[in-house]
Amino acid sequence: MIEVSNLRKEFILSKKQKKEFNTTENTSVAVDGISFVCEPGRVFSLLGPNGAGKTTTLRMLSTIFKPTSGSISVAGIDLQKNPNEARKKIGFLTGSTGLYARLTPDELINYFGALYEVNPEDLIQRKKYLFDLLGMNEFAHKRIGKLSTGMKQKVSICRTMIHDPEVVVFDEPTSGLDVITAENIIQLIRDCKTQGKTVIFSSHIMSEVDLLCDDIAIIHKGKILYNGTMKEFKANMKTENLTSEFIRIVHEA
Amino acid sequence: MIFTIFKKELKDTLRDRRTLMAMLVIPILIFPIIITLFASISEHFKESVMDKTLKIGYYQASDQNSVIKMLKNIPDSLGKMTFVPISSEKELKEQIQLDSLQGGLVFSKQFDQQLSGEQTANITVFSNATKVGYKERIEASLAIIDQQFIAQRLVKLKITNEQIKPIDVSYENTASDQETIGKLAGGILPYFFIAFGFIGCMYPAIDLFTGEKERGTIETLLTTPVERWKILFGKMGVVVLSGLAAASFALIGLFFSIEVMDLVKDPELLAVIHSLLTLKFLAFLYLLLIPLTVFFAGIMIPIAVYAKTFKEAQSIITPLNIVVVLPAMVGFFPGIELTSITACIPVVNIVLATKELIAGTLDIGLLALSFFVMISLATLAVIISFKQFDKESNVVI
Repeated sequence: MIEVSNLRKEFILSKKQKKEFNTTENTSVAVDGISFVCEPGRVFSLLGPNGAGKTTTLRMLSTIFKPTSGSISVAGIDLQKNPNEARKKIGFLTGSTGLYARLTPDELINYFGALYEVNPEDLIQRKKYLFDLLGMNEFAHKRIGKLSTGMKQKVSICRTMIHDPEVVVFDEPTSGLDVITAENIIQLIRDCKTQGKTVIFSSHIMSEVDLLCDDIAIIHKGKILYNGTMKEFKANMKTENLTSEFIRIVHEA
Repeated sequence: MIFTIFKKELKDTLRDRRTLMAMLVIPILIFPIIITLFASISEHFKESVMDKTLKIGYYQASDQNSVIKMLKNIPDSLGKMTFVPISSEKELKEQIQLDSLQGGLVFSKQFDQQLSGEQTANITVFSNATKVGYKERIEASLAIIDQQFIAQRLVKLKITNEQIKPIDVSYENTASDQETIGKLAGGILPYFFIAFGFIGCMYPAIDLFTGEKERGTIETLLTTPVERWKILFGKMGVVVLSGLAAASFALIGLFFSIEVMDLVKDPELLAVIHSLLTLKFLAFLYLLLIPLTVFFAGIMIPIAVYAKTFKEAQSIITPLNIVVVLPAMVGFFPGIELTSITACIPVVNIVLATKELIAGTLDIGLLALSFFVMISLATLAVIISFKQFDKESNVVI
């Protein structure tokens, strides 16, 4: 489970950034006191236009950024008080995730297994399971730099799941991928749900959200405009389709 | 966990061609190439100047001029010379400029009378100073003839050499060969070590910090349950090792040139080098190099963390190379020594301490001070690196 309460993130602006944003303020608020809960066995979608605060929120959930104020609890662990314990419970995947091109998938998975302190026997078993599941055996010992985008995506998925996280954070996971490659991610999200994991993913693609999510939050300018189940969202729509409804809510804010 | 990160980063680094070139290939080849080039160029130059027959023109003297006759009798072992009469001083100068003559002698109008009258007779030597070695050969030949005339005059005057040379001064060098070579040429070795230590650190520092940011791998690394300081130390270990490896490979290259390729011919220099290549020397050298390399890594990492692209990091660190390596040139000046002041200047202290170490005159107190200064600076650099690496704005693009 993920519990987020009054989460706020401010960034200190440099002189150059002040010029770029045409502001005299010393800070910029990326996330402005948001609260939500993601339940295990359900897929939570954070929907918002570019610059809404989705990535900043997910970076705080995955401990890359420290919140300015507010609290986050992941699998019952307070993220600020015990970040390292929380990290063991989190799997993190973004669409822009890079991989170490000079390593092989096998070496990379062993490395992340060691970083997550996965027991060596469990590591062998999980690696075998994931390599078989994703069809990675034939390229397991090739340099990642020589693999296709689809193969790399499979390596990323394997890297995310190697420590069997309770909570999985996806930041625009299908961005820049073709439909065939994106299907691997869609399937991974479905599998996580089936396995009872807590899943949160950010997107600005309504069709993807409709396909996968149980709960939805619409975020704009750092604030949550809507938070509820997908069923309720659909039932209360004032426009014809999901995309129009999303645009309406954002414009009315 | 630091070792896990270190192992992975080392493997990754050793698969990078750029780093391998800067860390292994160039350092190992530099000394054999420099020594071979230097030796062959100087040998070739020496031979070509000596082999060349110099055509010397003379003006205002006949074939029967005693100086010309004596010059023609100088043995060819000092280099062949031919002598031709020239009709004017102007023509002489023109032909020298065209290199159809390599030198010219213009005798004073009263030359023969002055010489036979036991006066000082004048010869003006013309040469082109851009043609290195020609003037020296003419000078050497004329000096021989001058000595012959002096000897003739002394015999005639019934004066012995001792009578006109009341004091004979002889000079003895109290410094050993090791000290002399160490103080005069010992700065070259630490200069190369510092230069390679820096270059060796440079590519891994950029690759492991900026490169990781640029390739989008840092985000996932930061979500693992590993403290940031451990990630920093694991990566820094590889940067330091690369710098030390580059310096070590340069030393191996030097050893290879001396022992295997037999490129150093001077027996005195060879004896000094042999006496230096001991475990004690190497232990002291690494004692100085380790904090220096940590210092290098410590000043490069904050830059590499701050930079957003490989190019940006390279454009900042490359000029820094000049700032850091330039003080290392202080070792080329014979007069500058390790004192309590120079021991406090980073890089300069390492160069001078290594120089004293080569000369065998290293003061342990000053070595300790240099070491303390470098350790303090290296610690400071590590703290700055950590602060920079801990800033979330610098780690994630």
